[in-house]
Amino acid sequence: MVNYITDLSLIDYTAYALQFLLIFIAVAIVVHKNNGTIIILIASFSLVTASLYVINNAPDVAIAEVAIGSAIIPLIYVISISRQREFIVLDKAMDDFIISDNQFTGIGYILLKRFSDFYHLELNITNDPLLCRLGEGKDQILCEQTNVDLIVSKDPASGEYILKGKASNILMNKLEQMTKDYDNIRVIKFKDRDFGE
Amino acid sequence: MNPILTFLVVLIGFYGLSTSDNVIKSVFSVTIIESGVILLFLNLGNFEGGAIPILSEGVTQIVDPLPQALMITTIVIGSTVTALSLMLCIKVFHHYGTVEWKEVLSREDVKS
Amino acid sequence: MSRQIVLILLLGALFAVFTMSIIELEGLYNAFGKEYFLEYGQSDTGSNNLVTAILLDYRLFDSLFEAGILLIAVSGVIWISKHDIEEKNARFMIDKFKTPDLFITFSRLVYPLMLAFGFYVIVNGHLSPGGGFQGGTIVATAILILYYIDADKETNIGLIVTVEKIVYLLIIVLASVSIVTRGTFFTNFFPLDATQDTKAIYLVLLNVLIGFKVALGLWTIFTAFLKEGR
Repeated sequence: MVNYITDLSLIDYTAYALQFLLIFIAVAIVVHKNNGTIIILIASFSLVTASLYVINNAPDVAIAEVAIGSAIIPLIYVISISRQREFIVLDKAMDDFIISDNQFTGIGYILLKRFSDFYHLELNITNDPLLCRLGEGKDQILCEQTNVDLIVSKDPASGEYILKGKASNILMNKLEQMTKDYDNIRVIKFKDRDFGE
Repeated sequence: MNPILTFLVVLIGFYGLSTSDNVIKSVFSVTIIESGVILLFLNLGNFEGGAIPILSEGVTQIVDPLPQALMITTIVIGSTVTALSLMLCIKVFHHYGTVEWKEVLSREDVKS
Repeated sequence: MSRQIVLILLLGALFAVFTMSIIELEGLYNAFGKEYFLEYGQSDTGSNNLVTAILLDYRLFDSLFEAGILLIAVSGVIWISKHDIEEKNARFMIDKFKTPDLFITFSRLVYPLMLAFGFYVIVNGHLSPGGGFQGGTIVATAILILYYIDADKETNIGLIVTVEKIVYLLIIVLASVSIVTRGTFFTNFFPLDATQDTKAIYLVLLNVLIGFKVALGLWTIFTAFLKEGR
């Protein structure tokens, strides 16, 4: 046993250390609950694997792994992890329901903020003029094909605020339960359409 | 290089694939399995005292270049497959409002 | 919990089987291919880098379909992330992700260097580690830096994909020229007894085309993702 250890050269020690590090990082990624800190582990995982490829006498593979794993793969993981914690609201009402005096202090904003904090989401409110100028009839297409999760608009006849979203979205059911006590808020859910309709 | 330690990485990837709740974690488990398999293949052609497979003066012993050429293919394809699955994840979140496997699969319109 | 224990037991059994069969694994492997590549690789293909020799000459069929899978995956990403309404996502009122000025300055400094390194890796693919796939990803990473400098950069995805398809067709045409000169598909179109420098012309041409195609494909992929995340 002692002979075995003394026969190992420095490169073998490095290889064993890197392999244990790789196993450690893999276990950390699988076990970790918080998705935000995983991104750093993902980047370091590909770095350690690239070092192991070099130790295995494969510089071509190592260059490919470093080039892909250093920027592009972490970027797409960052985008998809941050996207799954976002709740995007399109504000078409244009009055003090969400924004009053250029500040997010309206009653609707407080309601949505409470809702998104409860489900650990990040609230993003937009009033992109390109999307707002589309008519009422296009709201369903807007929900399906852009990244908007919820549309806030105002019924001019009765003065009610209408929250529109997709029926398939779990968050819409939860939002409906939360807002059923309010008289001036109505929730509309769009049913799914099949392809070609 | 020890193939047993490398195979442990593959098994960790399998474990993550079977137990993870989150869709993104499943996608990354596939990447872990892929890295382990690449290391196993490279380990197969590697040996003590072999030089990198680039010919120059005085090179008599090289490691096998064939697994390396195959593994470059694997890396490029693996990255694009990861991109495709993550784009599907984003669309699943937009459609269902969640990316937890249990919540998505317990919905009535998914069962059928 | 019991399911996890069963899973761990199964994986442990797999591990035990692998540990026992590790000695037989080396019996499966033989070194005949390696010796052939070492002896004839350079004179057959004109490439010092044997990995490039396999990718671009001996097993060019594999590489062609690898590039094809890249094209199919890019088309899939674009089809899934398609928006019919003016191809636009919502932008946010508060720009939270303002890039720091120091970072912008350094990005402008690093961008041409990264681009030059990518081209170096592509062109020297037959002499040193590298080649079309690796250099293409480095070029794509360099293009990604442009988005850090100017977050609102507009990109015409349709044009990029069209160019990528044309480049893919060019790769197939260049790989098939050998049916005229040598009588076989998918190999070097210079005759077998040409000098090494002559054969390198074909390798450099194919590496440049593949690098161009991979860079365009990855550019499309991260543009689609940046549109989602913006």
